[in-house]
Amino acid sequence: MFAEVAPMSAFPHLRSLHHVNQCHYLSPPSHIYRSITTTTTKSRRRHPEPLVVDLPWVLNTSTPATTTIALDEPSLQSTDPPPVLKRSSPVTTTSMLNDPSLKSTWSHRAWVASGCTTVLVSLAKSVTGAADSGTWLQPILAGVVGYVLADLGSGVYHWGIDNYGNENTPVFGSQIEAFQGHHKWPWIITRRQFANNLHALARAVSFTVLPIDLIFNDPVLHGFVSVCSGCIMFSQQFHAWAHSTKSKLHPLVVALQDAGVLVSRSMHGAHHRPPYDSNYCIVSGVWNELLDTYKVFEALEMILFFKLGVRPRSWSEPSSNWTEETDTSSLIAEL
Amino acid sequence: MASTPLPTAKHSLPSLLHAQTPKTLLSRKLPNLPKSFQSQFCGVKLSHSSNFAVPSSFKKSSILAKVSKGSVAPSFSLKDQDGKTVSLSKFKGKPVVVYFYPADETPGCTKQACAFRDSYEKFKKAGAEVIGISGDDPSSHKAFAKKYRLPFTLLSDEGNKVRKDWGVPADLFGTLPGRQTYVLDKNGVVQLIYNNQFQPEKHIDETLKFLQSA
Repeated sequence: MFAEVAPMSAFPHLRSLHHVNQCHYLSPPSHIYRSITTTTTKSRRRHPEPLVVDLPWVLNTSTPATTTIALDEPSLQSTDPPPVLKRSSPVTTTSMLNDPSLKSTWSHRAWVASGCTTVLVSLAKSVTGAADSGTWLQPILAGVVGYVLADLGSGVYHWGIDNYGNENTPVFGSQIEAFQGHHKWPWIITRRQFANNLHALARAVSFTVLPIDLIFNDPVLHGFVSVCSGCIMFSQQFHAWAHSTKSKLHPLVVALQDAGVLVSRSMHGAHHRPPYDSNYCIVSGVWNELLDTYKVFEALEMILFFKLGVRPRSWSEPSSNWTEETDTSSLIAEL
Repeated sequence: MASTPLPTAKHSLPSLLHAQTPKTLLSRKLPNLPKSFQSQFCGVKLSHSSNFAVPSSFKKSSILAKVSKGSVAPSFSLKDQDGKTVSLSKFKGKPVVVYFYPADETPGCTKQACAFRDSYEKFKKAGAEVIGISGDDPSSHKAFAKKYRLPFTLLSDEGNKVRKDWGVPADLFGTLPGRQTYVLDKNGVVQLIYNNQFQPEKHIDETLKFLQSA
């Protein structure tokens, strides 16, 4: 039985609509199929190609593999459980890294540029307004409030998208699907290029902050808006860093994570463990402990259940579409 | 129960030396409880743990149907998970733990039911029976009991009539059915009321502690 590796399009909340219909499929011709030991059940073979690896994998069968493992060999197509691959040394999969759906397009870059421009204009208005009036404290405090509330906002949004709706929900459908895909393949976010990762949030920020930039000049308001929207826009980068390994992160990023300025790898890792109902905030994570201790989301879930009759996904046993593919993650996440 | 979720919402009742209103007994802030409560218990001493044999002259108020400590719990007849009608009076002669919970298959209620299940032998050893009550129908209770192997009775209070009769307070500005547990002595008199929406396991700890110290 063959299954698809790492559906490249099922990503957290920032997929373009281009990927909606490709949520679990790699874009041809770079499909890679190999057998996965336990967690996936998809069996469609469309382009069975050998998994090309740069360094040897060692099969714990009597058939050692060298540089190429042709997994469409009849012996590996049997109904017996596929051999467990033991990694003998770090490997790279160039096909996966070069998958187009992970790369930034000029459209992505344009949206990120647009989002950054609106945020920087807002910041500039705050700074110039503060300089003109000589009052710095309030705009700075407003910025701090913006940073803190961005974390809360990220948690509420994340909770909503993780628990309600599906791929057919208007407006949010593609993001809901992407979030579920992210839970299944959390490591893929570390493979996305920068603009690819941020462009959807950047688009939302552009539309929201531009009118504020045009209409308002108050430095305190802009202090709040610039920091809050900037943190929201970059929350997906913070999220990606939270999925990375320490060795791959810049020391400054690690320091910020350790200091609690950015959401830490361990805190966000807790969100990716069943029952997936905690640690929803992904900017700094400063709200997570409070929200989880006081069962705020559970309370909201209960209210929605009793008022609207909707059950959140986190109340049910995770479906196969939701459960993390730990075999894939453990083998490839360190690439 | 406070109207906002708080990590500590324990409201176990220590011994009463004089009458207190349900508001002070049960919660810090319960906007939907009556503001006044007739002090017909004035002068009756009720020890909370050592004495289950409350004088029979003690009578529940006929004006208010709300259940409080020291009152005789109003009888009810509800269907259990097998569709059989069960009356509270059936359990007279032994202590009963009656716990009202919001709904089957919700996280808190599942934790609570499983906690009661896991301590069920201890309740039996203390001579007590356990009854869970929610507004779900018998088929929901049946599936819930089967899934989690619950050994005790679940009753369907469809329409939440008994919940209202007993005065179980709602939470979060009335949006959420409250989670409240009553311990009745062998005469059907309420000896303990415990309310905690978001720490369901504590209901087991508190009621078991109370029964074992009796």
